[in-house]
Amino acid sequence: MPTIDQISESVFRETINRAVQDVFKTMLGKTASLADSTGALANADGSPWAHPVHISGQHVVGTVGFIGDISGLIYLYLEDKFANDVASHMLGMTLAEIDEAGHEVVNDAVGELTNMTVGTFKNQLADKGFPCKLTIPSILRGSNFSIEPVSSATRRIYRFQVGEHHIVADLLMKSGE
Amino acid sequence: MRYKVLTVDDSKTVRIIVKKAFKGYDCEIIEAANGVEGLAAASKETPDLILLDITMPVMDGVEMLTKLKSDPALKGIPVIMLTAEGGRDNVLKIAKIGVRDYIVKPFKEEVLVEKCGRIIDLKPLTEGPQKAKSIFDPATLLVVEDKPAIIQQIQEGLKHTPWKIHGVNTTGEGIDFCSKNTPDLIIISLSLPEEAAFTLFRLIRQNVKTKYTPIFALVVKTEAAAQAQAQQVGFSYIITKPIEISEMESKIAKAMNLDTSQRYFAVDGDVFVMRLPENCSQSVVGEVTNYLKPKVAGAVDSGIVKAVIDLHELKSLNMAVIKLLIQAMQTCKDLALQFTLVGNPQIVSECKGFEDTRTWTFHDSIADAKASFSRSAQPAGAA
Repeated sequence: MPTIDQISESVFRETINRAVQDVFKTMLGKTASLADSTGALANADGSPWAHPVHISGQHVVGTVGFIGDISGLIYLYLEDKFANDVASHMLGMTLAEIDEAGHEVVNDAVGELTNMTVGTFKNQLADKGFPCKLTIPSILRGSNFSIEPVSSATRRIYRFQVGEHHIVADLLMKSGE
Repeated sequence: MRYKVLTVDDSKTVRIIVKKAFKGYDCEIIEAANGVEGLAAASKETPDLILLDITMPVMDGVEMLTKLKSDPALKGIPVIMLTAEGGRDNVLKIAKIGVRDYIVKPFKEEVLVEKCGRIIDLKPLTEGPQKAKSIFDPATLLVVEDKPAIIQQIQEGLKHTPWKIHGVNTTGEGIDFCSKNTPDLIIISLSLPEEAAFTLFRLIRQNVKTKYTPIFALVVKTEAAAQAQAQQVGFSYIITKPIEISEMESKIAKAMNLDTSQRYFAVDGDVFVMRLPENCSQSVVGEVTNYLKPKVAGAVDSGIVKAVIDLHELKSLNMAVIKLLIQAMQTCKDLALQFTLVGNPQIVSECKGFEDTRTWTFHDSIADAKASFSRSAQPAGAA
């Protein structure tokens, strides 16, 4: 069975880049460009993570997992305001209507955007010989929080620019059991 | 027939996008948030199509699909998977259970509608005020013709109409135009190279947005084989070159189901006016004849008792026009409507030359004709 170590950093970068670009272009008509990445951040010693995402302010974070020959989680960080824009665009509602509809509607839209992004990412890995299945999306809201993955996971962080906004894709992965 | 589409997805966002995508079409969207709800909705509503996600809580899409296909009452309902779960192996495995199509998220609404349109006969809803209803409403016509002079001739000939004539030279440009706009009518030249006109016709008919758009063929009069082929594949009408613009205009109006009566019939104060245009071709006579009785009856019903038959623009008489005028006068008589005629010197003179029309008397203007009603209570047209 192939292992995660057999996938090079450039493949991960290219795969997540294509996934984010494809989803933002198709669903929102927006161009996302990869601004910078922090590849293969291993945490073999299990030490607490210093928060590497460098984000501040209110964020909506979507997360979807995938389980199979590779297992992992991808967190997609969107600024609160940008999350509202995304929901407005996807649902064909005005920002005032989104405000009135509340967090639940925005959470669902960000969850679906994350689901599509992670799906596009993992479908490419599946076609490379790493079959896996998606999990159901969940949403976090808050500011200044950090995620601490288990020690056997590898972590990669990719920052994208979408217009004047930035989004962060935080990939936590380990080989399947 | 109003089609029912069941969307089964745990994401409200996707269900809203699906609803939005089908907003302009005559179909009802039913929603379910998981496989259990989806099966219940399928049993209750018997949808014509199911859009099914895979990753859902309670019961996922694969389990729902398996149960659906094992139920004799439901197994015939076509299913399109709409899911972020792709990958060759995954798609092949699910396809074996029996799905009609597979759309991997992210997806464009147009692709969704187009794929569904291959399974159910989606009809665009009448778009209310935007859709041309009468001959005075704006409409968009697409002309696909490789000879710019012909496009120019059509644009020039129809410039008095509120229609916007968009001309393109190739089928590629035609397809591109149709993907961004929905023309009210399309005219395709059969002289495009390599039977491109027929290929374009098929592509337009396959597109859900233009499935019901009238398509005219444009062809030289003597090319009988091309005309026969166009009739066989289902072109709405064949226009022959050299183009007779007024005839084409009438056919376009008919194909777009436009109300053209306002061109010929109006109410001016308390008087009903029937007006014939400068060139009264056979198709114009046909149009006026069709509207005549209901329009006169409508006027009488609304309390009007006086009518003017206005021929001041008409260039010349022919037997079809004379028959129409006799029919118009008879209709007025039958409904006890006082009527009179307005004509120009040419028409007045021509009327003297026919046995049926030589006794007709005319006024010079509508104002004179209206004034005559107050002088005489008797019908003035037929002396």
